[in-house]
Amino acid sequence: MTSKRALEAAGMLAVAGALYFAPSFLERGTLNDLWSVALAVVLASSWNLLGGFAGQVSIGYSAFLGIGAYTTVLLALQGTPPVLTLPLGALLAAGFSVIIGYPTFRLRGPYFTIATIGVGEAVRVVASSLSFAGGASGLRMPAGSYDFESNFRSMTLLAVALVWIALAISRSAFGSALSAVRQDIDAAEALGVNSTRLKVTVHALSAALVGLAGGLFAINFQYVSPGSVFDFRLSLTIVLMPIVGGVGTVAGPVLGAILFGWLQLKLLSIPALLSSSLFIYGALLIAVMLFEPKGLLGLVRRLWARRLRRFYIDA
Amino acid sequence: MSLLSVESLDVSYGNVQAVWDVSFRVEAGEILTLVGANGAGKTTLLKTVAGLLAPRRGRILFDGRDLVDRPAHTRTSDGLVLVPEARQLWPGMTVLENLEMGAWGKRARAESARTLAEVFAMFPVLEERHAQKAGTLSGGEQQMCAIGRGLMARPRLLLLDEPALGLSPRLVREVFASLSAIRKAGVTVLLVEQNVAHALALADHACVLETGRVTLAGRAQDLAGDPRVREEFLGVSGV
Repeated sequence: MTSKRALEAAGMLAVAGALYFAPSFLERGTLNDLWSVALAVVLASSWNLLGGFAGQVSIGYSAFLGIGAYTTVLLALQGTPPVLTLPLGALLAAGFSVIIGYPTFRLRGPYFTIATIGVGEAVRVVASSLSFAGGASGLRMPAGSYDFESNFRSMTLLAVALVWIALAISRSAFGSALSAVRQDIDAAEALGVNSTRLKVTVHALSAALVGLAGGLFAINFQYVSPGSVFDFRLSLTIVLMPIVGGVGTVAGPVLGAILFGWLQLKLLSIPALLSSSLFIYGALLIAVMLFEPKGLLGLVRRLWARRLRRFYIDA
Repeated sequence: MSLLSVESLDVSYGNVQAVWDVSFRVEAGEILTLVGANGAGKTTLLKTVAGLLAPRRGRILFDGRDLVDRPAHTRTSDGLVLVPEARQLWPGMTVLENLEMGAWGKRARAESARTLAEVFAMFPVLEERHAQKAGTLSGGEQQMCAIGRGLMARPRLLLLDEPALGLSPRLVREVFASLSAIRKAGVTVLLVEQNVAHALALADHACVLETGRVTLAGRAQDLAGDPRVREEFLGVSGV
């Protein structure tokens, strides 16, 4: 057990190290692709803390990305160095998650999910109508606020940190309580778990992480608009990645994010397929639900078990 | 003063009233059973006492303190613990994880190692299967795990919702024997049961619930001899 954990820690450190030094030996285009995949990993793994571990499916996560992104743009335009705006964006996203968490967590199952769609859309509409935030056309970051290498390192290291956070939570008493809430909320309440506080806490943590990613998003693209960060399709993609990869696990959302990140990059290069991306994602979701509800990770495990069986029994 | 005192409780699901003006008391150290047919309101009553449902009217006094406005999870730390109907274990967790989650409250967690030893002593099969997923246990083992999980919260009053449901006669006897051991250990028990004969044989006091109302109450022994109970629930007619 201990050696397994040591191996995991070594693996994560190796990946983090490789990503840190990647800018010195990889092409700019490859680095951009890696950045996109890292963003997808951050979004999917953060969502999975609430949606997977605690079983609360929210389709309103673009709101947190947008809050983080807008915080960074608005403060940077006032002259604040972008890096300093990141913690505040995370804090505001977490604060907003608490405010919407208390009323929406009174709802259970699909009712909660529907409410989060409403919240996400409401935030988009409000952002589009705020004149100081540029309205529907959005805002551009001030010139000279962009350093590619440090942004690349921040996003990829955040992705590695998220895997570590998810792993730590999944092994903690906090993680067990989240799992108890997911598997039987009444039993959890009856045994003394304050399920509302638990859900609000993990929601705030995951919102803060997505908010952080939002700030990096703004710095990377140098431009933020309601259409880019508050898009409903974005909220939907954030849900699809962990579900396709393997919801409620640590590795599943990472797998899903890598697949989606790759698909997105491939589809973006073919204009005809770009508009049908949602169609492809929908088909993927249906396939997962029908054939392997545990996602890609479940498929990998099943194939691996079959191989082992063949190795030991048939050989 | 009674440990638990339920006074004029009305509980409704929307417009449908399930419990009508129910009052009863549970004294410290006893086993009280609420018996009745399917749909009599037994589970509703127990869930209301545990805080999972809110009553429309009435009071629930635990140790003299009104619980009605206290959410379910805080009642656990007061010492009132529900073992829910159909076990409601967390199926994806191991037996040990289920038991450990039972000791979630601060007070219970501080004593969890000692309580765990007590639970394993009472249900040795749980120790044997501690690493197994709870969803893969047999019905009887799941029930023991559910009771064990409830005990991990160090209850003063244990609320049990039909622990004998779906168990073989031998397992029913085993589960009921464990309830009497739990009472001996100083835990008061409120038992909801459809298996009237067993429940009346075990309990000190009993209430008969019919369509949401208490129709009979008294010493369990007396109720077991009551002609109405014998005819209605024990299948003995023409006494």
